[in-house]
Amino acid sequence: MLAPLVDSIVLNRRRRARRHRLVIGLLLVLVAATFVLTLLLGQSFTPPRDILRTLMGEDVPGVAFTVGQLRLPRAILTILAGLSFGLGGVAFQIMLRNPLASPDIIGISWGASAAAVFAIVVLGLSGPIVSILAVSAGLGVALLVYALSFRNGVAGTRLILVGIGVSAMLESVIAYILSTAPAWTLQEALRWLTGSVNGAQLGQTLPLLVALALFGGLLLSRARDLEALRLGDDTAAALGVRVGRTRVLIIIAAVGMIASATAISGPIAFVAFLSGPIAARIVGNNGSLLVPAALTGAALVLVGDYCGQFLLPSRYPVGVVTGALGAPYLIFLIVRVNRSGGSL
Amino acid sequence: MKPHTLLANGLSAGYGETLILDGLDLAVPPGRITVIVGANACGKSTLLRTLSRLLPARKGQVLLDGKSIHRIPSRDLARTLGLLPQSPIAPEGITVADLVSRGRHPHQGVFSRWTREDDEAVAAALAATKTDDLSERPIDELSGGQRQRVWIAMALAQQTDLLLLDEPTTFLDISHQIEVLDLLTDLNQTRGTTIVMVLHDLNLAARYADHLVAMTKGRLHVAGPPEAVLTEDHVRQVFGLESRIITDPTSGRPTMLPIGRHRMIAPAIKEPL
Repeated sequence: MLAPLVDSIVLNRRRRARRHRLVIGLLLVLVAATFVLTLLLGQSFTPPRDILRTLMGEDVPGVAFTVGQLRLPRAILTILAGLSFGLGGVAFQIMLRNPLASPDIIGISWGASAAAVFAIVVLGLSGPIVSILAVSAGLGVALLVYALSFRNGVAGTRLILVGIGVSAMLESVIAYILSTAPAWTLQEALRWLTGSVNGAQLGQTLPLLVALALFGGLLLSRARDLEALRLGDDTAAALGVRVGRTRVLIIIAAVGMIASATAISGPIAFVAFLSGPIAARIVGNNGSLLVPAALTGAALVLVGDYCGQFLLPSRYPVGVVTGALGAPYLIFLIVRVNRSGGSL
Repeated sequence: MKPHTLLANGLSAGYGETLILDGLDLAVPPGRITVIVGANACGKSTLLRTLSRLLPARKGQVLLDGKSIHRIPSRDLARTLGLLPQSPIAPEGITVADLVSRGRHPHQGVFSRWTREDDEAVAAALAATKTDDLSERPIDELSGGQRQRVWIAMALAQQTDLLLLDEPTTFLDISHQIEVLDLLTDLNQTRGTTIVMVLHDLNLAARYADHLVAMTKGRLHVAGPPEAVLTEDHVRQVFGLESRIITDPTSGRPTMLPIGRHRMIAPAIKEPL
């Protein structure tokens, strides 16, 4: 008697899964196509054959430098940073059921930036130690925001408000340090404010890849519990999710990814914030947002960096382009959330 | 089906500094419908949250089948005891079938695939709550009564022998309240599901309860069959309200008529009706 109903449920579930795979497939194609475009077309056009030969290890005059040293490292780093920002951002947004809860709004990226600027300008440091400090500061700020908003558990809105406050404080710290900074450190320090993939090197990609694999893997292994958290903490707990533990794991994973990416490319403005909602629009209710949001992040940074380099009248770092995209959306979202109290 | 026993012994729990449950003892009769009533802020919701381990006990313990619930792995607990909170959150645009399938969470592993059993449980839950013809509709488009049936369907898909519900009839008009309570009674009678729920309406509580529990200030005030619990004395002690109790001619259960300061044509003293 129930058989037709069961069949229709199975059918609809499979249709949703198919659409989910299709969306992921299309986003993969988009990222791959943009990746190839950035390799082919910069200040000059490089024929695909030369690129392939360079990638195979041949020394093609001229191409070996532009592609091997400039375009390829930059493109790979851009993709990895985009994936990390997208995945880390959407994890926070889903967990706190609010698109404003992204790590760049609640201060985590600013924590990493402030530490880096402090290290460069005040301590006179440079190199990997700056990145390590930035990652630790990102984690520290996440803990601080979490602790400050803890009262009988953590409510999403309280955490967001505390986070916005902490961000403002960190931004003023950065502004103060920069105003006292000697001119020769400014160039290096400014990178930590807007986010940029200028001067990317292949050597930087490995640590980011490791961080992404480690923290991203951890996050994806909690994907089902994260999905259950969308029903509210009580319902999730009633469904057998250990809410507190799941939260801590997700925060560690997401902050780990965001801070590692920030340590290498600086806080590329609003990518973590934008990727989730854009992915949500594309995916609809056909399944998990994690992988689609990661791919959206990669596409955003790739396209943003390409625009900043070649399509605008002057050269801009990628963070300026994504910032210009993100700011109006932030205003729109605050207005809309204010009206409906809606979630992601 | 083996009936599960749920017991609370000297249970104290609360939020922050404040203690809301204060040494409460409760025995939930297996296979029956237990309804908890009490004034606002007496700890009814806190009791349900502590019974289902959403809130840790400060003192005392909750025993499920004689075992402290803190010793039971989360997933095992979620396969035996379900809870529908007062205001669950539906993700924007989610369809009814998708939401109800979330009830299968404790039956699935980290990477496990959907099984025929999962789909059948979802179908049975949709059919039992008469939400099968809504299954592909987004939940935001439904009326309050339909939505509440969908949440109950999700709890049913979880297939627990014990089901706790926090005010499942709030915000529903009277016909939908009856519909939800009838549905829960069906569930109790056909599957033997033990039901524990908090209700605001004393008369509906007395009508649908096998076991009625009245709470005051974080303690159990009185518990037993509705006839023994819904009395004029108890209503005065629990709610601070004068009332008259009569027998509902259709259900044979006690019904409470409140007495206020106005609109009285008979003196508010006891005399045979």
